Amino acid sequence: MELLIFGSLTDIIGTDKLVLETPQDTELLKVSLLKQYPSLEQTHFFLALNKIMVQEKQPLQEGDVVALMPAFSGG
Amino acid sequence: MMQKTPKNIFFEGPIPAQKIADDIQKHASKTDIGAHSIFLGQVRADQFEDGLVEAIEYTCYQEMALEKMHEIREALFAKYDLTCMHVHHSLGTVPVGAICLFVFVSSKHRQAAITACSELLELIKKELPIWGKEILNNQTSTWKKNN
Repeated sequence: MELLIFGSLTDIIGTDKLVLETPQDTELLKVSLLKQYPSLEQTHFFLALNKIMVQEKQPLQEGDVVALMPAFSGG
Repeated sequence: MMQKTPKNIFFEGPIPAQKIADDIQKHASKTDIGAHSIFLGQVRADQFEDGLVEAIEYTCYQEMALEKMHEIREALFAKYDLTCMHVHHSLGTVPVGAICLFVFVSSKHRQAAITACSELLELIKKELPIWGKEILNNQTSTWKKNN
């Protein structure tokens, strides 16, 4: 799966794109990201799976694109 | 019918005042319009402890933003009696004092245009994956936070 990183979170992750082993679901993805990047804990972030905001746990498949996004600040 | 591809709302750099004038002029041929509601967002020189804002650098998740904008457009057309709606949001660097957002909503009568424009602005801020990075005059930067 592909992880796209946006806004201030690129400062934490250090890049705007990662190719990862696909975890079983979005919750496990969050757990592994928080383990690898503990500073994410201090931020408020959202996930979008294939361009749809993730409200509750979603299963992940090979080829999925997940976006890791901080609060929006357009305008 | 062919599926409509979402319109691109993104504009590289600041939005020139001339574009706004030209876009108003283009609507002269749409003679069922009686009211335009136009909103312009301008980059403000906020003073932070670390320095003064000189510019905002915008980035976005373009594919998602365009799909979301398409949904917002459809919802507002369903809700209000609108003739047309145009949204232009800057990407890249926009200096202080320049225009970074141009929203243009037209209708037969003022009430629909004004109400839809105001609702559209809230939805743009709340739902479009766009981020601003404020570039300060001491060579540092801070990520913009919306109120």
